[in-house]
Amino acid sequence: MSEKNTDNRGGRIDSKDLRNGVAFTHEAAQSQAAAAIKSIPSMLKDYSCPICNRTFAIYADLQHHYADEHPDAVVPVKVSFNVNGKDCEVLIEPHWTLQRTLQFRLGLTGAKQMCNHGACGSCTVIIDGRPVLSCMTLAIECEGKSIETIEGIAANPKWKPLVDAYCRWDAMQCGYCTPGFLVTAKALLDRNPDPTEEEIREALAGNICICGTYPRHSTAIMEAALKMAQGG
Amino acid sequence: MADLAGANGQREHFRVVGKPNLPGKLSYALATGIAKFGIDYVVPDMLHAKFLRSPYAHARIVSVDTTRARAIPGVVDIITWEDEDIKNLKSFGENFGTPRPWLDNIADYEGAEVGVIVVAESEDICEEALRQLDVKWEVLPHIVDIMEGRKPDAPVIRPGVGSAPAMGPGGDDNPPKKGNVSYSNLISGDIEEGFKEADHIIEYRLYLPPFASHMPNPSGSVAWWYDDPYHGEGKSLHIEGAVRERRAISAMYNVPLEKTVQEGLFMGGKYCDWGLRKSQEITPLLAKRTGRPVRCVNTREETFDFLMKERYMYLKVGFKDNGLITAIDDFSIADGGARGSSTFGTSGDQRYGPYFTFRCKNIRQRMEIVDSNRGMMYVSGQHCPFNWDSGTMAIYLIAEKLKKDPIEIARINLHGPTSQDDPNPVPSFEACIERAKEVMDWNWHPAGTKKLPDGRMHGASFRYQMCPRHAFSGYESKLELRDGVVYMPTQGPVFGVYAVECNAMVVAEELGLEYEDVKIVFDYREPFTPVGGGADGTTASAWVTKECANILKQKILEAAIEEAENPPPPMFPFGLPPEPSPFKGLKPEDLDLADGKVIVKSDPSKGVPLAKAVKKHIVATYSGRPPTALWTLGFGKMLDTMNTAFCEVAVDTETGEVEILRFVVVADPGKIMRLTSLESQIDQVMYFSQGCQLLEDYVYDKRTGVKLNNNMIEYKKPTILDVPPVEREFLETRAGNAAYGASGISHSLANTHLVIIAIHNAIGVWVDPPATPDKVLKALGKA
Repeated sequence: MSEKNTDNRGGRIDSKDLRNGVAFTHEAAQSQAAAAIKSIPSMLKDYSCPICNRTFAIYADLQHHYADEHPDAVVPVKVSFNVNGKDCEVLIEPHWTLQRTLQFRLGLTGAKQMCNHGACGSCTVIIDGRPVLSCMTLAIECEGKSIETIEGIAANPKWKPLVDAYCRWDAMQCGYCTPGFLVTAKALLDRNPDPTEEEIREALAGNICICGTYPRHSTAIMEAALKMAQGG
Repeated sequence: MADLAGANGQREHFRVVGKPNLPGKLSYALATGIAKFGIDYVVPDMLHAKFLRSPYAHARIVSVDTTRARAIPGVVDIITWEDEDIKNLKSFGENFGTPRPWLDNIADYEGAEVGVIVVAESEDICEEALRQLDVKWEVLPHIVDIMEGRKPDAPVIRPGVGSAPAMGPGGDDNPPKKGNVSYSNLISGDIEEGFKEADHIIEYRLYLPPFASHMPNPSGSVAWWYDDPYHGEGKSLHIEGAVRERRAISAMYNVPLEKTVQEGLFMGGKYCDWGLRKSQEITPLLAKRTGRPVRCVNTREETFDFLMKERYMYLKVGFKDNGLITAIDDFSIADGGARGSSTFGTSGDQRYGPYFTFRCKNIRQRMEIVDSNRGMMYVSGQHCPFNWDSGTMAIYLIAEKLKKDPIEIARINLHGPTSQDDPNPVPSFEACIERAKEVMDWNWHPAGTKKLPDGRMHGASFRYQMCPRHAFSGYESKLELRDGVVYMPTQGPVFGVYAVECNAMVVAEELGLEYEDVKIVFDYREPFTPVGGGADGTTASAWVTKECANILKQKILEAAIEEAENPPPPMFPFGLPPEPSPFKGLKPEDLDLADGKVIVKSDPSKGVPLAKAVKKHIVATYSGRPPTALWTLGFGKMLDTMNTAFCEVAVDTETGEVEILRFVVVADPGKIMRLTSLESQIDQVMYFSQGCQLLEDYVYDKRTGVKLNNNMIEYKKPTILDVPPVEREFLETRAGNAAYGASGISHSLANTHLVIIAIHNAIGVWVDPPATPDKVLKALGKA
């Protein structure tokens, strides 16, 4: 299965996309996150064979093509779900994880691949209200489900106090694992808007920060919770 | 040496520098997940590449048949080590180890890239193609136990390959390599005489545990070539994920720097592991061969290199009745690692380390460096110098022997600030100790003598280190004033020490601005980068930026006078005439900058906003480095800013469980530059220290040489539930060489034995790190 971005622009690399990923303010980050959600491709317009690049108008033709030309290969499957409020349909191989699908099909890179074994929490997303490890979740398991990623949280002004608090307290060093922490923190605050330090530590126990920023997170989350209780 | 040479080095009032809770310039991008790291890049028409990796700890590819792999639909290119393109590749990455062919048919550790690279439409196809390679392996003898590897009858794993030390002392005086063992010896003073002077001699051993940083973001890159007539003939190279400066990739592919592009700003965790991995170096070649962008990334298992290699140390220390050390005989057996491993952590430690902080000059360091198939270590690590706690142990053991407080033993042995002959106390050390004793409520007790109310045994430990100063990297700072706004151009990428922010704070401080007023411009073409070490590089670059800011300031004040005397003609010569400048008739030295204005020193109410006071575009540059590099003057032979760390543990002698009750750090960074990240760095090093002493370890199958736990489930990193409270106190003696007398913190507090010593203080027996409950019970004779 090709891992080319489905946003096919004839091989042209747009430098604007490469610069995407730099934001100096919450507003800029919020706007970029919103733009990333907006550019999630919704419905599949055609079905490209990832092996030989032939394109088909309907899925059945792709299936026939596989039967004729690539009989030993696994036929890609269609999966539909809702990501950050947007319905979308993707064509993937059945063994693809949700993390891989988010990155390669939907262009969302906030769910980070770190351990690939469900050990570190960097790829955490929220599915139907629960924090879930997207590197351990097959995308086909998500059919019909609602998925919230860090981009969805970042684009929602409600969570500005949480993002602000993380930035004020340097609750990140290299920052690679940080989105996973924030998603877990958001899921915690959803169900417990006023957590104690102990409850925060329990909630974040599945997130590993190799830079060792742990003490910062509870400080940031408690500050955010207070601000949100006061109306943001 | 404090910051006496620079402008305002002894500034007394700070508005911005030292302030807490200023968000990092890139923190919003990081927190919201929009920041892109190397492996995040997905570009149209992109191919994927994978290396063949060795399933054996040591093996040679005799032959490989790629026919079946090439026949797989979707496979685009397969290259072997015999291809001229590969033979011509030469790395310019920072490995600092013995060079070897960029890729050949020999793998000297399990998981090493070897022999073949596959390029295909997807990673899945790459993996299938790798499975379809018909590889004939010759399995070679391996060494993953260095104590076995040093034996005379051990199989020689690198016959014909010279001695390992590339940076070590000794040179021609070292014995020639024998079997798997290279030698690196450094002798100073008269060791025999030193032992004769001694009233007591202690002997002890310590084990430095191998430790993985396993950088959070697996290494990888994506690269492509494109037409770019604006920067000369030939294609330009765009690469993301190569990290740090583009120079290494530019040199590797012989592409001018101006035609080598890397725009990404995020390199992830580095921990001074600067070595480029093959997945970061190969993509330009593959993109050139295929004419398409190529992505190559490591998996987590493939990104599990050493941050610290194992070492067995045997120490013999002579000392007088008062605790003064008279001789140190240090013999160590160190893992040389796979070929190409850094010599930091082996011979690289011998020229600096704990011993040179002692008054004792009779020191013999002998090291055996054993070739092994355990794995790679690139450049450096958070525990550098790795042997520091051999000195910490000496102090502790002398204290035990003499029934004295180890702090007193340290004080007796520590030389003064200027040299090993300096009998004066080190003010920074004394200040740290005074405060730490209060914070700790320090009341030392001999080993195994204090029981807590809950029945567990109490132990405490202490160590000191010097805060690192950094002056071997030069920096080229540039600042601009345009339309009243100060710009600070810098190249990325960043790696988590908030160095850019620290520099911006200095600019704001010197120019009378707020931190938010300084506009940081990230541009990969800019020469300035504050990278060059961690906190030490940050403060060193900040010194250069401070000089640059003062040059800009002088130019601004001169321009303000010039424009006051000769106002630039208005663009449209009608309307009211401009107001007369309050600076008319004054000199630049009569002016200052404050609150975003040019002001009259004698009457600060007379101020003109920068944009109005100076219309011209002003550029200031400064190229240089802070004065006096501690490392070039002899690491440890001069002492200025110091830090101290303490640990208290409770050991359950029934279960073997060790609980760190608290870490206390009292550190003198010279001057606090950016408080929040300074605190965070302390948390980090104590976290690293806890991990390697209680949890983390590499496990090998000795029979096959295969590493069994290079994943984040079985290699145990501490979680948020494991970390103890870290209490931190900072002093500001302004004794460092960098901006305002600052030093770094960086490696200096990371340690291998602070917790281990506290455990000994609790139970009276030694447990090698990592001190897992089973090892504690075994040491107690209970298992």
